[in-house]
Amino acid sequence: MRLLLDLRHITDHVERQHLAVQADTYGIWGVVVTGPPGVETVEASAIATATDHVTIVVDIDGEAAHPTTIAEEVAVLDQLSQRRTMIILRAGNEKRNTVTTLLKGLPSEGVILSPPPAQASVVVHAPEDVQQIEMPEEPEKLAELIDQHRDANEQFLVVATHRSVKELARHAIGRAASIDFPQMVADMADQIDPIN
Amino acid sequence: MDIGIGLWCLQSTATNPRSFGRAYQELIEDARLAERSGIHSLWLSEHHGYYDGYCPALMPAASAALAGTETLQVGTGVLLLPLHDPQRVANAANHLNQQFPERFHLGVGMGYRPVEFEMKDRHMSQRLKLMTSGLDILSTTTQTPTWVGISSEQAAERAGRRGLGLFISGAFSKEVVNKLIAAHRVAWEKSEPSDTTPPPVGLLRNLWIVDTAEEQRQALNWVRSSYLVYAGLGWGADNTGVDFVTEIETSMNEVEKSATVGSAQQIAEDLSGYDVDLVVCRIGYDQPPRSALSDVIERIGSELAPLAREF
Repeated sequence: MRLLLDLRHITDHVERQHLAVQADTYGIWGVVVTGPPGVETVEASAIATATDHVTIVVDIDGEAAHPTTIAEEVAVLDQLSQRRTMIILRAGNEKRNTVTTLLKGLPSEGVILSPPPAQASVVVHAPEDVQQIEMPEEPEKLAELIDQHRDANEQFLVVATHRSVKELARHAIGRAASIDFPQMVADMADQIDPIN
Repeated sequence: MDIGIGLWCLQSTATNPRSFGRAYQELIEDARLAERSGIHSLWLSEHHGYYDGYCPALMPAASAALAGTETLQVGTGVLLLPLHDPQRVANAANHLNQQFPERFHLGVGMGYRPVEFEMKDRHMSQRLKLMTSGLDILSTTTQTPTWVGISSEQAAERAGRRGLGLFISGAFSKEVVNKLIAAHRVAWEKSEPSDTTPPPVGLLRNLWIVDTAEEQRQALNWVRSSYLVYAGLGWGADNTGVDFVTEIETSMNEVEKSATVGSAQQIAEDLSGYDVDLVVCRIGYDQPPRSALSDVIERIGSELAPLAREF
């Protein structure tokens, strides 16, 4: 299971960028960004420019624009981010299918994207495909939640937190990836290299 | 007079094929070089569904260029407003204006390719109506500096009446440019504006700084060949003497005549004859080697921009 840091509730641009850079540094797989209609990929582009590795997951209002426009914006973002784009599309099935087809580089009703995305295809999720949690204060609770979603074979888990990104990375990335995460190593690391 | 550079279209043309990934990374590199060189602004250009990947989404591209720099101003030259939802455009413009204060310019135009309207389930016949309703929404929902790309006196008048800036194409002769500027100014004055300062005028110009006759010929060939893309796109502008579809050689000759290729001093003298606030040096051709583009960006910043600031 891959962890995504939720930046959708962070209102300050500078803080969003700072957290995205931290996620990039500490190996969080992706960050989730959004904005008012039309702003989603604009914000994502700025985050992509400030980072090198983290996947930029863009939560887009698919009802506010023509599907070709949405696909064009995502394709440009994928070129700018060098294949680091994934989207959550809030739209009906028909529109989501059109955007998905276009973002595979395939024609839809005579339209084909130019440029296409840099990836062979950009993954398009429905909002209900991606589970989300608030990071609890207690480490045991976090461990429990991560185990629960990992064991349910979730592919991604979006985590919203006001705590340190390094703390999330230390305690949750390995646990999300493995059924035998050695919690004692993370606990010892907290003593050797305290985060707060 | 401010000096900017354009038009970054992020293409991979048949003339000069390249990876799109490289094109988008070079946008950031070029923006940084322009900033270091003291250039005022960098301008992007939009088309949809063209074979060469001509950039169809300027707002994310502008955001990346702004995020990759600290002081450079970035503009859309132009975003084809009838092909977008204007409220989404306003939202994006306001966001860029807020995150990067006083660094983003929204240039908008009507578009001229029927296929692009069809891609968005619209029709070319709607474009004027879509443009004017879009401008109405922009004027009430955004404080972002807004420029209107035009190719006719009527369009210049429309922009002037609304108190919006003008963004004039690079292929027009000085005579046509002056007519467009005059139409814009008269329409603005007749609108009984509350503002005492007229809306700004930006002018795209084909130019290149060279030292020798050999370099001059090469640069003029780059200018000519760059208009092949417009022939492919089907551009034929009314009443301007430029029709890249049916009269490509004649049109290229006109473009060559309107281009200014020489020393920075010669170019500055030519530009001083225009009553404009901004000149965007159209250097985003697809033929010059990368080293030549980098060199001319530096020279525009270090040689031409200081001279133009005196006007």
